[in-house]
Amino acid sequence: MPMNVVYQSTYYTLYQSVKERCFYVDFGQKLVRMSLCQLLSLRHKVLSISIEDHFDGDLNKHGFEVLMLCNKEHLLVLNTLEILDLKHMVEQGFVAMGLSEEREAVTV
Amino acid sequence: MKDIARQSMSIKVESMDLLNGQIKMEAHASATYLAMASWCEQNGFFTSAKFFYKQAEEERGHMMKIFEFLIDTGGNPLSPEITGINHDYSSIVDVFESTLEHEVAVTKSIHNIVKKARELGDIATERFLDWFVLEQVEEENTIRDILDMIEVTGTEGVGLQMIDNQVGNWIE
Ligand SMILES: [Fe+2]
Ligand SMILES: [Fe+2]
Repeated sequence: MPMNVVYQSTYYTLYQSVKERCFYVDFGQKLVRMSLCQLLSLRHKVLSISIEDHFDGDLNKHGFEVLMLCNKEHLLVLNTLEILDLKHMVEQGFVAMGLSEEREAVTV
Repeated sequence: MKDIARQSMSIKVESMDLLNGQIKMEAHASATYLAMASWCEQNGFFTSAKFFYKQAEEERGHMMKIFEFLIDTGGNPLSPEITGINHDYSSIVDVFESTLEHEVAVTKSIHNIVKKARELGDIATERFLDWFVLEQVEEENTIRDILDMIEVTGTEGVGLQMIDNQVGNWIE
């Protein structure tokens, strides 16, 4: 299946498939097919995660986040480093797609 | 590389985020005006209550206009969470003064999005907001006129009931 890499972070890769007119995200544990709408929804969920809570034992005791994707079709459990990397991948992925301006720390 | 992202979405994600923020602000305005209608009903300002019911509906209309624009452009509109609605006012004058403050804040927020859209080169968003810029001029003007009328009428004696009756002039 011919796919172009849009952006690659430490743990994750965002691909676009021209033939299927959609995107794929390689989460390591699994490869998930996504429309742009689903990517926008992933972006919202990931950027809404308060990473500060991970450094406060009362707000996030275990240091994990559960992420549901594509209308509850996929469930991911990510640790602090993975969340930070996913935030980075999502932000830079949208820059690489030409839908976002390059800059630090997008707030949703 | 074929540009599937651009073919799927015609505005910038930064504009989308700001417009989702504006959806929230319009929803907050709608809920605030409904709280004002409640206050007016409970304090005997029945014409003003009608005015605020209508305002509440209009603000919801504004929210939906932005919501539909985000759909049309391939964005991801978010249903807003609304909290912190004030129900306490010291007088009918307080109600209308708060309304003007609220409208000025909305105007500033819209101007801010126009400026950001311009920086991003997002012409579609900038043009879309033209209607809102002019709508805000009208809304501010309406509330200022009502406050002027309150000033001229005065709140002594039957003044308060005269004020309430005259608010009817601003309900189309
Ligand atoms: Fe509005
Ligand atoms: Fe308004």
